[in-house]
This record gives sequence, C-alpha cells and structure tokens, in this order.
Amino acid sequence: MHIPDGFVSLPVAAATGLVSVVGLGIGMGRSQDAFGIRRAPVLGLTTAFIFAAQMINFPVAGGTSGHLLGGTLAAIILGSPWAGMLCIATVLIIQAVLFADGGITALGANIFNMGVIGVWVGWSLTQTLQRLFGGYKGRLPLAAGIAAGISVVVAAIACAIELALSGTAPVNIVLPAMTGVHILIGIGEGLITGGVLTYLMTARPDLLPGNQQEFKGWVVPVVSILLIAGVLSLLASAWPDGLEKVAENLGFIKLGENVRVSIPTPFADYTVNGNEGIGTSIAGIIGSIVCFGVAFGIAKLVRPNNA
Amino acid sequence: MLRISLPLRLQLSLVIVVGCAFLKPNAWYWLGAYGAIALLWACLLRVPIRKLTGLLGAELIFLSLLALPLGWERASFLLVRSLICLITMNSFLLTLPPHSFGIALKSLPLPRVLKENLLLAGQYIEILVGEVTRMQRSAQLRGLNGPAGWLRYASAAMIGTLYLRSLERAERVYAAMEVRGYNGQLPTDGTLRPKERFAVAMMCAIALCLTVASYTNFGF
Repeated sequence: MHIPDGFVSLPVAAATGLVSVVGLGIGMGRSQDAFGIRRAPVLGLTTAFIFAAQMINFPVAGGTSGHLLGGTLAAIILGSPWAGMLCIATVLIIQAVLFADGGITALGANIFNMGVIGVWVGWSLTQTLQRLFGGYKGRLPLAAGIAAGISVVVAAIACAIELALSGTAPVNIVLPAMTGVHILIGIGEGLITGGVLTYLMTARPDLLPGNQQEFKGWVVPVVSILLIAGVLSLLASAWPDGLEKVAENLGFIKLGENVRVSIPTPFADYTVNGNEGIGTSIAGIIGSIVCFGVAFGIAKLVRPNNA
Repeated sequence: MLRISLPLRLQLSLVIVVGCAFLKPNAWYWLGAYGAIALLWACLLRVPIRKLTGLLGAELIFLSLLALPLGWERASFLLVRSLICLITMNSFLLTLPPHSFGIALKSLPLPRVLKENLLLAGQYIEILVGEVTRMQRSAQLRGLNGPAGWLRYASAAMIGTLYLRSLERAERVYAAMEVRGYNGQLPTDGTLRPKERFAVAMMCAIALCLTVASYTNFGF
C-alpha cells in the first residue's frame, strides 16, 4: 500500500501531508505524556518489529502479495493510538528515506493511510468490539484481529480515493481493485495480529491493556460506519464482479436465469426501487444496521457469564 | 573513502533524494543530471559495488511489482528515479560505520521524540536480527534445516516469542544506556562546521535548480 512518487497529485499530497503533520504533532505530545523514559524501549522495539514485519511479504491471490501493516498491533501493544501513529510514521519515514519504499512526495499520503487511518480505525474498532464482547480480556485477540483486518481494507479504500482524486486511475477501477486485494491481505493481518496477541496475553499479560467493563463511546464508530456505508457505496463500481465477468465471457451467465426463482427483494442490486443514487446509500446504511444488529446478537451470545 | 562527516553525508544524501523525488514526471534530462550526481556520490564514498548491486537488485524487484502495472512508459521513469534515490541512500548506508546512524541522525531538524524513536528503532533492528539468527540456529538444531524448514517453524507464537525475547534484550540495552548517562539525547555533537554548511547549501541550490528547471522547458 506504499504509494510511490508520482502516483498522487500535488494537492492530494499537500492535503494528506498537512493532516499527517498535524496528527503527528499531536501524537508526539500525547506520546511523551504517555511514555516517559521507562517505556521508551517498548516504543523503539515495536517500531523495529513492525519495520521488520513489513519486509516479509506473503502471497495473496492474483499474483500479488501483501504484508503486515501493524497499526492495530502497535496501538494495542503500546496502549495508545497516538504512540501507534508515531510508531508507524517512523517505519514509513525509514522505508521512504532509506529504502525508497513509498515516495518522499507521497510520504504524507502514506502516513495518513497507514499511520492515521490504519491505526485509528483498528484501535477504535478494537475498543468497540472488545466492549461488545463484554470487556473480557480473553476476547482481545479476536476483537483486535477483526479490527486489524477491517482497518487494512479502510486504509486501502482511502488509498484508492487518493489515487482517484489524483487522476492516476478511475475510481470505478481502482476502488474495487484495491478493496478486493486488501480484503485478502486484511485476513492475513487479522490472523497475525490475533495470533501474536494471543501469545503475548499468555506470556506477558502485563504488556496488554486490562479488562474494560463499560460500553462507552459507541456513537463515533457507529456513525462512521454508517457514513462509510452511505457515502462510499455511491462510489462502488457498477461493473460486473470477477465471476460475472467470467460468466459473461464464457457465455454461461444465462444458465442462472433458467433456474432463477423470482422473489421480490426491497434492495435488489443494492438499490431501492431501482434508484441508483440515494437508493444505493439507503441500501448501504440499512445493510450496515442489519450487520451491526447480527454482530451485536452474536456478541451477546458469546459473552461470558462473569463479564 | 573521503573524510566526510556523518551528518554531512546524511544531509547531502537527503538533499539529492528529495530533489529527485520532486522532479516532474518524464523529465528525463534532469533525471539524468541527478543520476550523474548519484553515481559521483557513490564513487566519492567508495561504496562496495558488489554489495550495492545486490541490494539494488532486491529492492528493484519489489519496486517493479508496484510500478509495472502502470504501463511501461510511466513505470520506466518511476523505476529509474527510484534507482537513483536507492543508489544515493544505499551508498550512504553501506559506508556507514556500525552504530553510528544516530550520530548522523542528530543533525537533522526533526522533533526530538521522532529522532529518539528513529534511533532506538535503528538500534533494536540489530537486536531483532540477532534474535532471529539465534532462533534459526535453534530450529536447525531441532532438525529443521534450510529456509523451508525455518518457515515451517514460523507461527504466531514464534513471532510473539521473537518480540518478547527482543524486548527483554532491548530493555537491558536501554538500562545500560541510561546507566552511561543517556537521557534521550546522544552525547555527540551533531552540528555542522561552516564549510560543511556551505557544502549543504550548495547542494540544496543545485538540487533546487535542477528540480525547478524540470517544470520549465529550457529547450528540452
């Protein structure tokens, strides 16, 4: 997801750079308060660890490969998204300056995608899911794993939007492509994050945050999810997905129509009454509410009795 | 190797890389000028050619995976520009005495927290690599020979173990540093002498001229 030089336009690079600098400025102040001199090795080593982990690419489908982003993992180990942001930003600066991995001119965009969005989405979702799971510490790896996976996809969506705004690629091509690949990378990210946290919880539980009993601050994540579902759904490609395209090319798409039983559905093709504009947004928001309700129900079911 | 101080080496390398990164796309002549500067820089530092080419090869494979889907015309410029940046920074890194990155880093105008984190991360990467080597050796002793065997041994628990073992060593190293008087500041002088400042200013001026010229026509 490291954007090289020449992929983002000057306005996009400047805007993302400004947001990243402001975010890092606040993060530096907050990290100094949170850490002091005693916890400095944890911050330094976690940065080195994420740097090393990002060098190991794992293969995903379609001849591409992915690597750990580590934003959620860093924020949880360090116990602060501000410090997590600082950690990922340091990794990205080292990679851009010393290894030309990610452009110097795109450094702001890369820090924004992976260091700001990746860390904050991962951290906020972990907090929300952890509370939904009853605040039980044993559920932290599961919550963090899911959150880490989703944070990678959200960061990829942000990256795709930046590339589209820069005129590098049309949004209807770059958004589904980036999202599709990063869903697979997100699964890897989730598994590694959850696995490492499970181990750390057994070996060094003092490194991880403690139990959280109260369910607070749900408004921001819920509203964010609804906004994403409502706004980003408008950008979704109308082109056929991989299977549909193959079916069209090979001429077997009509086979499905032969056995299709017509059931009236209110949100067919992700629209309301065939209205592709606001109808898609409504379908996205309602879909998110239903998913949230199902997840909440599952969380209630798996919640331990003593939590 | 020329007697150039570490802060000066780092600053000159960064000026070349930043100037090259801001070049206008497809400004091949100006990129050629940066290429000549990068090669001159590598010659001045007397970088070991074999090591440099080995590193460049590995790094360019990753870069080409990113750039080639954009089409050959665009990818070629991006790849050559990345190559020039890599020659410059690798020349600096490969001629850097061990444990001296922090001395070079101190001269950069960066916030203290970020500089300290960069320094610690750089230092702890060595600890991390040391732990990986030890774990690889213990895997070999258990009969898991070769890279395939090592990969079979890799798991989330192993990554967690690596983190914890490195953290314990990092904490010991940090305690030793504190005992020796470390307080987040390196006990070395990172400021440039007047002649060195002049050299950095000259390099900045050259880089600025080349990069700005790429956005104008000047007959090219």
